[in-house]
Amino acid sequence: MNWTRLYPGWAMFAAMIGLLLFLWGMALPLAALPAPIGPAAEQFADGARITVGLTLIAGSAGVVIGVLAGLGKLSHFGPLRWFCDGYVWLIRGTPLLLQILFVWLALPTIMPEGVELSDFTCAAIALSLNVGAYNTECVRAGILAVPHGQVEAARALGLTPLQTFIDVILPQSMRVALPALANNLASLVKDSSLAYAISVVELTMVGYRVQAESYQPIPVFVTIAAIYLILTTAFTTLTAALEAQLDVGQKR
Amino acid sequence: MGSEADLRPIIEARAVGKRFGSFQALRDVSATFHEGQVTAIVGPSGSGKSTFLRTLNRLEAHDSGEIVIDGIVLGDDIRNLNAIRREVGMVFQSFNLFSHLTVLRNLTLAPMRVRRMAKAAAEEKAMNLLERVGLKTQASKYPVQLSGGQQQRVAIARALAMDPKVLLFDEPTSALDPEMVNEVLAVMRELAYSGITMLVVTHEMGFAREVADRVIFFDEGVILEDTTPEGFFSNPGHERAKSFLSQVRHGF
Ligand SMILES: Nc1ncnc2c1ncn2[C@@H]1O[C@H](COP(=O)(O)OP(=O)(O)OP(=O)(O)O)[C@@H](O)[C@H]1O
Ligand SMILES: [Mg+2]
Repeated sequence: MNWTRLYPGWAMFAAMIGLLLFLWGMALPLAALPAPIGPAAEQFADGARITVGLTLIAGSAGVVIGVLAGLGKLSHFGPLRWFCDGYVWLIRGTPLLLQILFVWLALPTIMPEGVELSDFTCAAIALSLNVGAYNTECVRAGILAVPHGQVEAARALGLTPLQTFIDVILPQSMRVALPALANNLASLVKDSSLAYAISVVELTMVGYRVQAESYQPIPVFVTIAAIYLILTTAFTTLTAALEAQLDVGQKR
Repeated sequence: MGSEADLRPIIEARAVGKRFGSFQALRDVSATFHEGQVTAIVGPSGSGKSTFLRTLNRLEAHDSGEIVIDGIVLGDDIRNLNAIRREVGMVFQSFNLFSHLTVLRNLTLAPMRVRRMAKAAAEEKAMNLLERVGLKTQASKYPVQLSGGQQQRVAIARALAMDPKVLLFDEPTSALDPEMVNEVLAVMRELAYSGITMLVVTHEMGFAREVADRVIFFDEGVILEDTTPEGFFSNPGHERAKSFLSQVRHGF
């Protein structure tokens, strides 16, 4: 199947996921390193897994939220537009740390009896809402960048509004929005470290704990930084490749 | 092409009106178009030619009068609208090919989505149409990789892929470099002789005179003349038509 050629954007996306999975397992070779890193290799691996997990979950949910809210912002239905505007305004105007604390402390008080939210879930919800707001602006800009003639051509051929959106507007707007969306995803790798504030044992928290036990902050934090750098470099490299790929059909 | 009496009416416009704000773009426009007829629509800029054409497949909604396409009344009923758009194809001045899809996928999208055609059948049909417009070798290219004339021929093939009963052309050669006009006119000429119903807004007076069965002259939102090409070009009835013709002649 020439899936890669037909959908270069999605192939790149799949490659990104593959790389993340690879990095996820790669934390294991750390065991070969001397103390204080070697003995704590499992902790580092677990921390990296939590970080990547948070990034993937909040990243995917954030894309869905971004598409829905991006569409909502362009809706002709006033209340929906105002709701989405308000959401983006609220999230972008307040600190992420506050949002994480809010979900962790305030959400359980308004949840129905018997529903327990783990710390990880709270962090994932807060990060999803956060990246979703930033994605909303990218998606909206992408949709606005689709020339109106494309929509008219689709409608004139008999495609329904939904088909027009799925087959024409969405792929074309994603071509514009994907680089920015991928950037937001790369930032998410780092932003997820704030989850340590609600005792999620992600990479930064692991570093904090290991150095507290070993009294050797320098090697520990250098290792943590190296893992973050590998993760973010992988993301930025893929982002650049993605942009190059997406130029298909864009320029002569 | 036979007398009008024994041809079936396929488009009936009765006292169609359209306003943009306070500006009346169409006033009580009435015309009946018969199966197999090729009509050239001419007139000065801003006279309402495009607006009229676009009301016929409801890219613009008319606000008074009635339009009946192949027995179906054009209105807000979405099912009627989809049925009509399947029967009425449109070719735009700026081609409006789907920029994210290859030439082949541009031709197969609507038949597969709207007519529920199988992929293999749609592709076979698309290849036949590409051969007909002389672009069989370009099937896997993206629109930006083609010249304007080639893009417009693809756009014509894309419209034909839906087996429309009527083809609407809105200045199909106006955006083209002069050396590419003829390759598009040649395709349209071949189509005209194949018996498909065509409404062509054009500034190509040679084409109108040679290929059309009928010429409609628009001025300030009304049909001033509705006659044969000979009648229009050798003996226009209105001063406005005379001055339009002399301007066009001197302009070329
Ligand atoms: N969407 C719109 N909003 C406001 N005014 C419009 C709109 N579309 C067309 N008009 C106006 O309606 C009038 C008729 O426009 P139309 O495009 O039908 O003219 P035309 O005969 O096709 O001219 P041209 O030869 O320049 O294409 C023009 O005065 C134009 O400014
Ligand atoms: Mg026009």
